Amino acid sequence: MNNNIDVLIIGAGPAGVAAGIGAKKEGANNVVVLERDWDLGGILQQCIHPGFGLRTFKEELTGPEYMHRFIKQAHEIGVEFRTNTMVFQIDKDSNTVWTMNKERGIEALNPKAIVLTMGCRERPLGAIRIPGTRPSGIYTAGTAQRFVNMEGYMPGKRAVILGSGDIGLIMARRMIWEGAEVEGVYEVMSWPGGLRRNIAQCLDDYGIPFHLKTTVTKIHGQDRLEGVTVAEVDDHMTPIKGTERFIECDTLLLAIGLIPENELSRMAGLEIHKVTGGPVVNDLLQTTNPAVFAAGNVVIVYDLVDNVSDEGLIAGSNAAKFALGRLNNNAKRIPVKGGENVRLFSPQFVTGESDTTIFMRVTHPIEQACRVFAEPGLYSQRLRYARPGEMNEVKIKAEQIRNLQDLNEIVIDIQPV
Amino acid sequence: MNYDIVIIGSGITGASIARELSRYKLNIAVLDKASELPAGASRANSSMIHGGFDDKPGTMKAKFCVPGNKLWHSLKDELDVHVDECGSFVCAFSDDEIKHLELLLNQGITNGAPGLEIISGDELRKREPNVSPEIVAALWSPEAAIINNFEAVNAMIESAQINGAKLFLETQVTGLLLDDKGNIRGVATNKGDFTAPIVINAGGTHSGEIASWAGDSSFKIIPTKGEYFLLDRVAGTFITSFLFSCPSKAGKGITVLRTAEGNLMSGPTATEQEDPEDRATTPEGLAEVLKGARKLVPNFPVNMNITTFAGVRANTESGDFEIKALSKPRGFINAAGIKSPGFTSSPAIAKYIADMIKEEFADRVKLIPDEKFIPERRNIPRFLYLDMDERKKLAEKDSSYAQIVCRCETVTEGQVIEAIRRGARTISAVKMMTRAGTGRCQGGFCCPRVAEILSRELNIPLDEITRHGGESKLLVGKTKEFLLKKEAK
Repeated sequence: MNNNIDVLIIGAGPAGVAAGIGAKKEGANNVVVLERDWDLGGILQQCIHPGFGLRTFKEELTGPEYMHRFIKQAHEIGVEFRTNTMVFQIDKDSNTVWTMNKERGIEALNPKAIVLTMGCRERPLGAIRIPGTRPSGIYTAGTAQRFVNMEGYMPGKRAVILGSGDIGLIMARRMIWEGAEVEGVYEVMSWPGGLRRNIAQCLDDYGIPFHLKTTVTKIHGQDRLEGVTVAEVDDHMTPIKGTERFIECDTLLLAIGLIPENELSRMAGLEIHKVTGGPVVNDLLQTTNPAVFAAGNVVIVYDLVDNVSDEGLIAGSNAAKFALGRLNNNAKRIPVKGGENVRLFSPQFVTGESDTTIFMRVTHPIEQACRVFAEPGLYSQRLRYARPGEMNEVKIKAEQIRNLQDLNEIVIDIQPV
Repeated sequence: MNYDIVIIGSGITGASIARELSRYKLNIAVLDKASELPAGASRANSSMIHGGFDDKPGTMKAKFCVPGNKLWHSLKDELDVHVDECGSFVCAFSDDEIKHLELLLNQGITNGAPGLEIISGDELRKREPNVSPEIVAALWSPEAAIINNFEAVNAMIESAQINGAKLFLETQVTGLLLDDKGNIRGVATNKGDFTAPIVINAGGTHSGEIASWAGDSSFKIIPTKGEYFLLDRVAGTFITSFLFSCPSKAGKGITVLRTAEGNLMSGPTATEQEDPEDRATTPEGLAEVLKGARKLVPNFPVNMNITTFAGVRANTESGDFEIKALSKPRGFINAAGIKSPGFTSSPAIAKYIADMIKEEFADRVKLIPDEKFIPERRNIPRFLYLDMDERKKLAEKDSSYAQIVCRCETVTEGQVIEAIRRGARTISAVKMMTRAGTGRCQGGFCCPRVAEILSRELNIPLDEITRHGGESKLLVGKTKEFLLKKEAK
């Protein structure tokens, strides 16, 4: 029975569940989603705050509510889920997927197509090399969120938050709601990492100070965190002497970025993009291994779960086509190039087999009217501003690609107008 | 509590002595103030099994380093410890430094270090393509190796325990007990008195202070901090052995190495300080490490850093180990000032001390070989390194081995449970015994899960679990309780 899986999906977060639906709708017979946790939903299980699904459902749902709608649909159309099942190895040449589960033991699966939907993880403290001691009380915001929302325990009483990624902002508010103090949020860049709406709703509404161009420069305390030193930084992100300030706190929460989780992608021999940290994909969300597709935060870190679900549907659908032998093996492969204001984008190749959305982030904020575009003449849209914390999109129709016979490159960029 | 031997400190020195003495019919107590092992210099060091060329002939270091190296090459199988027998290179950047390599080569030959050879810079770059193009020659030491120091200390003390030694953690020695003739009667600790006719001081950075209690002021410990970068396993293909610069007075200088587990690492600095417990990394220290790393490996991929850490080593003014028995109080033995190449030397030091007790202290304790001594100790199964058939068998026998706890290092629940069975009580203890939390997410994923397993297996509330003992609790209470308490105020 393990060898008649059409589409095997790794990870039952928003991308994976949508991929299951997409594959099933496309006509794949046996669609299996593996999930290492005991329940479905991925990180959205612990995101109990509202704000999800505004685009997809035109209403504000909590993370679990949003997931429930997709999970219900997946069950209804016959997607099989295996929880408590971890993939620990993918063999490069055979695409054999090795799983473990307490009841089933260790198994090898040989599906016709694979969709990688492992999501992303938080950058740890070591990634930014802050000097000082290594006491308890330092958590990534997501770990703290798990403790509070899933386990029902408080990680500390007085917190400093480093980084202004969305989970950090959400956790600032959560800590206040649970009776803790939040001394402030510190961001090394001169712009916020997260969405403006989260700054307003999670910091401003609760009077939590937000300090840009400021970072933690030292960690104090032997056993439990006793405090941190913060300092302002110059344009090269070097701490400015004389601006250091000691803050007493027992908790430091880190929201310093998310990294696509690609251990398995590497094992599977996929090309990993140096900037996105995710697999290189085309607009069908097919990786450099034709039988392997990828969607969601494992490819590029999105702002909104709606986008993740959309991409999951696309990847699942194309994986099903591949499994059923319906995907064009001789599709075009037109590279996408980012212009000077583009820090990262995905997909990196366009086939013209279907309409596509290219997601991108600017390197620096552009706080004036600007234009997001794709050359040659494929897309142009005016924007009021462009900010690294908020993704931009370029939409290209399949027929546009098909009509340009000698198209050998698409350049995307955002420029002030 | 009456014992034949009390050992203060269960770093690699104390643990090796305990294990060596456990070959005899003795009641041994090993005391350590930490909540988990290793805790001191044995925890944070370069994890090097040195080749034996660096130590001046005639010193204690030279006497023990080469024999210690040989012992580790066999102990690794006996104790089931990860050792990468990768060899080491000392790199020369100038003709002057080549002269220094020749000096080291001759020193090594005198010390009995086998296989030493000076190779050209080009030959080095064939073996290690990422080293600096400016390196003109290197001293190759094939017997040098890199050990998993966390495993080694735990393996050593576990082997001693298998053979009857007793380990007491969170037990801090506060003074010596003398009999009416002024000879050793034991030690006083925060957990009560431990009496024994022989007390061995393996107190690491505290060994000078402990020796001074015995009236020995012949040496002073200069706590010397060493800071390190530890990089992702992905960077572990960058360098596949151990690279030294030419040593200076300050020490062996900044090195670049691949750890026994495949991480790229660089360090240490050598900063003298007053406080033996100050293990904070500093901006200056980390900058110095980076500079040194880039000298050896220009493209050192520091962006793949996963953590920084510092250790404090027990330097002495003489620069040598302080290993001797005091004539007064009789029964007090120093195994002090053990720093690099201390990890390498420890099994040889242990044999030396056992012989010393046999020869000089027969009046106080008899060393009768225990024919039931079990030399072998098996490690907790390392799922990551097992082949697929072994993994299947393990998972069939015990389903907790079919549940991953640490995804970065592929550590299973079964391993965590086994570590707890073997004495782990903290997140850090589990980490050092299983490697859960040592990977690229540094415990972000597994810390809550390890805490849950500790709580369940030890039947203690989750908010009592600590990171590394003492006041290092992970959590401050339940959410609603916490809020209600605050509102009541």
